[in-house]
Amino acid sequence: MNTSTKPILETHDITRHFGGDNGFLGSSAVVRAVDGVTISVEAGETFAIVGESGCGKSTLARLLLRLIEPTSGQVFFEGQDLSELPPKALRQLRARMQFIFQDPFSSLNPRMNVGTLIEEPLLVHSDLSAAKRRARVAELLVQVGLRADHANRYPHEFSGGQRQRIGIARALASNPTLLVGDEPVSALDVSVQAQIINLLEDLKQAFGLTLIIIAHDLAVIRHMSDRVAVMYLGQVVELAETDDLFSHPLHPYTQALIRSIPVPAPGHKPAGTTLTGDIPSPVAPPSGCRFHTRCPHVIPLCKEKEPILNIAEEKRFVACHRWKEIVAEGRLNIQIPAPTPAAEQRLALYRAHSTRGQKPTHT
Amino acid sequence: MFPDVIDDTMTPSAKTAPAGTRQDTHGANILEVAHLSVSFAGVPVNVVDDVSFSIAAGRTLCLVGESGCGKSVTSLAVMGLLPAKVARIAGGTALFQDRDLLTLPRLEIEKIRGDRMAMVFQEPMTSLNPVFTVGDQITEAVRRHRKVGKPEARERALEMFRRVRIPSPEKRLDEYPHQLSGGMRQRVMIAMSLANDPQLLIADEPTTALDVTIQAQILDLIRDLQRETGTALLLITHDLGVVAEIADDVAVMYAGRIVESGPVDAIFNDPQHPYTLGLMGSMPSIGPKTGRLTTIPGSVPPPQALPPGCRFATRCPFADAHCQQNTPPLQHDARGHGWACFKAPLELHLAELG
Repeated sequence: MNTSTKPILETHDITRHFGGDNGFLGSSAVVRAVDGVTISVEAGETFAIVGESGCGKSTLARLLLRLIEPTSGQVFFEGQDLSELPPKALRQLRARMQFIFQDPFSSLNPRMNVGTLIEEPLLVHSDLSAAKRRARVAELLVQVGLRADHANRYPHEFSGGQRQRIGIARALASNPTLLVGDEPVSALDVSVQAQIINLLEDLKQAFGLTLIIIAHDLAVIRHMSDRVAVMYLGQVVELAETDDLFSHPLHPYTQALIRSIPVPAPGHKPAGTTLTGDIPSPVAPPSGCRFHTRCPHVIPLCKEKEPILNIAEEKRFVACHRWKEIVAEGRLNIQIPAPTPAAEQRLALYRAHSTRGQKPTHT
Repeated sequence: MFPDVIDDTMTPSAKTAPAGTRQDTHGANILEVAHLSVSFAGVPVNVVDDVSFSIAAGRTLCLVGESGCGKSVTSLAVMGLLPAKVARIAGGTALFQDRDLLTLPRLEIEKIRGDRMAMVFQEPMTSLNPVFTVGDQITEAVRRHRKVGKPEARERALEMFRRVRIPSPEKRLDEYPHQLSGGMRQRVMIAMSLANDPQLLIADEPTTALDVTIQAQILDLIRDLQRETGTALLLITHDLGVVAEIADDVAVMYAGRIVESGPVDAIFNDPQHPYTLGLMGSMPSIGPKTGRLTTIPGSVPPPQALPPGCRFATRCPFADAHCQQNTPPLQHDARGHGWACFKAPLELHLAELG
């Protein structure tokens, strides 16, 4: 990734707090879902935001497209401040940035057939004639691996994977340049998940899309993304290129996350201990470094002073007071055992045969 | 507590052995399921078809497969929890302490369930009663099966909370489920399930709803507790990573049948069935990226569209007309590694074809 590439989407110290309203029973607690996030996504890359439940990644995804309003801070899409745009201009811009939801069933209107669902964004964002819209719907269905005649069916007639394909077709209808997927594959079975991941990669290539993927599954992130931001309790704690992040994570939280992934190789157990304790409540985040309550490297400074996301090495950022000392103690090197020759040989045969006779998959 | 019997010769399935043959390992087997078939009303084929496996004390068998493969139905059948209106046991036996769980009267199986045989489900919030404290719920579980007073039962609950490493256990006993985090709730469920020293623990996706750092804690906990108690564990999961971490033996299910089974090393290091290979290829790796993911084309056909022969034939890249029409038997080698495929080992069969 070239640093001179123009960012397509940037946030500047964006925060979103929930609650704190003065209701009839007194004021509710303030949840700091996203607390001062500054990121910059370059055109053409796949940028991933990873974290555990409650870290604010889904809130951040919605803020990026201004599906919800920030409490403070700005989002720039190709240099335009989204918060200053009048509603009409924002609506026009929406054609260029689309969202894919986790659960395709709850995001598709069950009373509309698939053709109407995919046509809807065309009605809003284009002035195509009815015949051209129908042709475009058919084209989109084929692009996402469905059949043109599926347009007459309803969402309930499809499997989870097929519904996700419909959701993707709908997102693609307005010719976006940016797609934000909030856990786009986590509701799907492994084999179907692989189909959708491949589809997203193919579409990205074909249409020159920029992808922002929000996920909790680190293996999916590793496979799909160019750069990763790791979030913990509303803040980005580490940001790096994917290979660097996974081969030698710097932040103790990232290290723990990567070590926690169960590796599909029997007898493999990464060195080091698993994290103790639960994620603290975002209503009352710990003082200083928010990770200090679970961090194995904690010192008194961590409880007092909040670390800021600073440049650590080339193109990588980390928010930790002690990252240098931790690295000096020994870089964590994550090694994944290779499959045995027998497994490798059969997997290769499987791959060769499954692509040879491959028809368009209708999942 | 139970003797910590670990028998390396145990095989998870014994289809090739005639039913009723008592193997040398029999004494160690806690659960022996043989030729289990389950049918659902209105479904033309068995949703679980001729499934056999066994688990010895202190061992872990993982049932792996994707949604709808019958792994949960198999476990519900063993626990006697299948809804009687729609599901029917179409055949087979499930021997537990020399009694067939599939034919036990309801009252008898209720005595075993929660006592000798316990369960942990995926979503602890729906398994815990929201209007009672977690301490009361464990106390009740103990008193349901043991003639003890409330103070002793509560003492036992406290002991179990310490065993599952819940911080400040005395305080937590008096909390309600909604006051606990997902990981804590799952610890409570495990504490409750182990409170009566079960010989068999059935866990259906126990870590699927949890975050990855919490999942690692719970898997460690399950492994430690199993080492201490010698409980046999039947773990149902879709995650091959979890399988590699915790299983001794594995049974891979597809569309209601076991397609491959055996010791965990054999399954991962010497996979035979094309479905097992497809599953492994579909999983993104946390190692360096190696290109596109391998996929299994299409999706599981609806029951009425299943082919008469091998049920994977509609999606298998190697299947031919013979596979469509004939059911491959699950045959085991000397290590207890078995697979149900006419084309395995793939390299040999494909070489024959040229």
